[in-house]
Amino acid sequence: MRRANHTAAAPHGGVRRRDVLLLMTGAAAWTTSAYAQKPSMPVIGYLGPETPELFDSRLRAFHQGLREAGFVEGRNVAIEYQWARGQYARLPALATELVARNVDLVVASGGAQVALAAKASGTSKTIIFEMGGDPVQLGVVDSLSRPGGNITGVSSLSVDVSPKRLELMHELLPAASKLAVVANPTSPTANSQLQKLRSAAETLGVQLQTLNASKEEEFESVVSSVTQQLAGGLVFTSDPYFAFRSRRLADLAMKYRVPAITQTRDFPMAGGLMSYGGDFMQSHRRAGIYAGRVLRGEKPSDLPVQLVTKVELVINLKTAKFLGHEFSPALVSGADEVIE
Amino acid sequence: MIAQERFRGLFQKYLLALFMAVAIPLVINGAIEAWFGYRDQRARVDQLLGVQATAAAAEIHDFIYGITNQLGWLVQVSWTDEPDERRRTDALRLFRQAPAIVSLTLLDNNGLERLYVSRIGLNRIESRADWSTDRALVGARATQIWFSTVSYHRGSEPYLTVAIVGNRQAVGAVVAEVNLKLIWDVISSIKVGKTGIAFVLDQPGRLIAHPDISLVLRGAEEATSGPFRTIRDAIGPEGGFATSRDAQGRAVAASAAPVPGPDWTVVVEQPLSEAYAPIYAALSRTATLLLISTIFAGFLAYALAHRMTDPIKLLEEGTERIGAGSFDHRISIQTGDEFQRLANSFNRMAGELALAQQHQERIAKLKRFLAPQVADLVDRTGDDSVLDGRRTDVVVVFCDLRGFTAFSAGVAPEEVMSVLSEYYEALGRVIAQFEATLISFSGDGLMVLVNAPVPVEQPALRAVDLAIEMQKIVQGLIAGWRSRGYHVGFGIGLAEGPATVGRIGYEDRLDYTAIGSVVNLAARLCASAADREILIDAEVAASVRGKRLLDDLGGRQIKGFDEAIPVFGISFNAS
Repeated sequence: MRRANHTAAAPHGGVRRRDVLLLMTGAAAWTTSAYAQKPSMPVIGYLGPETPELFDSRLRAFHQGLREAGFVEGRNVAIEYQWARGQYARLPALATELVARNVDLVVASGGAQVALAAKASGTSKTIIFEMGGDPVQLGVVDSLSRPGGNITGVSSLSVDVSPKRLELMHELLPAASKLAVVANPTSPTANSQLQKLRSAAETLGVQLQTLNASKEEEFESVVSSVTQQLAGGLVFTSDPYFAFRSRRLADLAMKYRVPAITQTRDFPMAGGLMSYGGDFMQSHRRAGIYAGRVLRGEKPSDLPVQLVTKVELVINLKTAKFLGHEFSPALVSGADEVIE
Repeated sequence: MIAQERFRGLFQKYLLALFMAVAIPLVINGAIEAWFGYRDQRARVDQLLGVQATAAAAEIHDFIYGITNQLGWLVQVSWTDEPDERRRTDALRLFRQAPAIVSLTLLDNNGLERLYVSRIGLNRIESRADWSTDRALVGARATQIWFSTVSYHRGSEPYLTVAIVGNRQAVGAVVAEVNLKLIWDVISSIKVGKTGIAFVLDQPGRLIAHPDISLVLRGAEEATSGPFRTIRDAIGPEGGFATSRDAQGRAVAASAAPVPGPDWTVVVEQPLSEAYAPIYAALSRTATLLLISTIFAGFLAYALAHRMTDPIKLLEEGTERIGAGSFDHRISIQTGDEFQRLANSFNRMAGELALAQQHQERIAKLKRFLAPQVADLVDRTGDDSVLDGRRTDVVVVFCDLRGFTAFSAGVAPEEVMSVLSEYYEALGRVIAQFEATLISFSGDGLMVLVNAPVPVEQPALRAVDLAIEMQKIVQGLIAGWRSRGYHVGFGIGLAEGPATVGRIGYEDRLDYTAIGSVVNLAARLCASAADREILIDAEVAASVRGKRLLDDLGGRQIKGFDEAIPVFGISFNAS
């Protein structure tokens, strides 16, 4: 009820601020066609690293969060989208372009690179990020409880649990003395993940083969090389570029009969072996809630960074059978979802 | 003007008194009702919030109990020295069922770590690390279930460590790390009234659960937890409900209940405006009724005051008019109460006053012909019945000047009037002195009555003495006039006998007079008396014989009388 109350009060506050903003822009004789159409609605600038199609499920979660905070796109909030379509290098330029459209709020969704690009644009507007990895370590925020500045958001534990994926692979293939990991060298979290993975490999007593892939074309050679390297299984580091290409990775893993694990459930759903990582539905939904709260007038510095602590294990028994491996009963009973 | 002001004062007093008589009991009644309503509502809020707090505490307890209950399944079987895969399966299954548990450590009967599973970090199997001196294990061994104080992971997420030992040493212990952020699901579903909420504080007063997760993630900060602790402290350890202010400064009603085990406090709060909404509604209802009743009381008092002061105003005006002499004015009040009676009294009084005035006027007229003493007597008694017509013995005295007509024709009118006024002034004094009744003037003559209307002792003697005195006085005057060359004389005639006396005339022209032959006789005697002569009839003579010197003048032929009448003279020089 408390929530609903805020909701009822919020649009008016938003409208007033919007009016003031409009007056200011009018005084500066700064006219854009984008503004003429819906002058009373706050505008969210949404920066995404991929295409809207790949982002469909994430966008739905984001909209659900917005709705919980009392905002519905087209009714009381407008959203301007900016998609990098997989070209992560374009993110800083797109962020600058989005900010120039004078949006009221920037949502940087889908990874640390997006958050860093939005922050680098130097906008004075609030930025809400949705990412994996440690936002303090990446220099996005000052601390979790007091983010500081105009940026806050939601972080999943996907990056932190990379060693856990190695452990799971090792458990499935206890006989394999060598396992391969794939990292995206362009990812800001790649180094820290590899470091953790190496120390985990040492603990587990396996050899680690590090492979790099930053383009979709490189995927096939990476997967095919696993068998050539005599590595038992393939562990993907947490990276949005990989996550959004789960289907392709699943197809390749099946094609080369490579046991593989990624961060997102999309992978086992598409025929991959298993996944272990944060629940992106939760993180995107919470980003939507935070965006709504900022639109209602809350200061980003008052909103602590939220960690989505839920990590889920999804396994595909069919694939395991196809690959000739068997999950231990402990793993099966501990899995959040089992695909048979 | 003054009358008007006085009227207004009385009106105001009545208005005020009547208004107060109605309004004060109403206000007192309203105030008492409001006070009891307020107390009842407070009691209701106390009870309601108390129940809510207990229910919320039970839910939080269920959350914790659910976890400890699950953990209890991990300490059922005795440890052997062999690695136990089944326990790992149980632990991983528990992860799925209790999402708040972040990691689990299973210890054997010697306090050695046999299994560590985590959602984030790498698992450890058979590390055999020694936990026997760890306070979690020591605590659990002492109390079976041990709770740590809440710690904030990276200064943000609240974590709790729970340790449980089995019912015997052989089954070992389990230590679990619990992310308390997940209480949010429980706490956000607790509704207190319409907009009230519940939150949880740990023993030192730090926020560990609140519907707004962003506050919980800063629970380690004093600035965040301070306002919540203030509410908890306002309630105090005795419980019950208290009013305080939340972080936004809004007044809230709050109640608390303890969560046994981790020693937390669940506080439920509701905006005071909502908690007291029924009493506010009742108060405004009472106030409205009071206002309406007061206005009604005002109208009633106004009408009543008018009813009371209007007759008074009429009485006042009426008495003023009567006082000003309008004795025929009548005050018309038909209220059927004391006022009407009073008005009737006034009206009667006015009638009596009119009568009294008429009487006074009559008395004033009497004074013209009655001797002043007699007039005063009549005036004092207020009774003029002595003037009523009757038949009585009277002595009639006539006197006039001789030769006055000839004299008056020869001198100036002023001189005539001067002589007459000297003459009458002198006579008037004598008449008054002897308390005789002056009947009439006619030119130089006048008629005086003795023994009527007021009877006197020896009327004849008094009349004779009167006549002697008259002669003496007038002869004195005549001597003076002669020196001025005026030749007049003065004669008197007296007669005694029955006559009819009484008032004659009409309205304002009423005179007292005597009718009878005695009057004629006296007049005739006067007419026949020469200067310096006092003639009396036989009756008078008989009455004064021996007392005054009489001259028997023998029978005289008097005009109007068939036979000669015996006439006597009084010598006034002798006396």
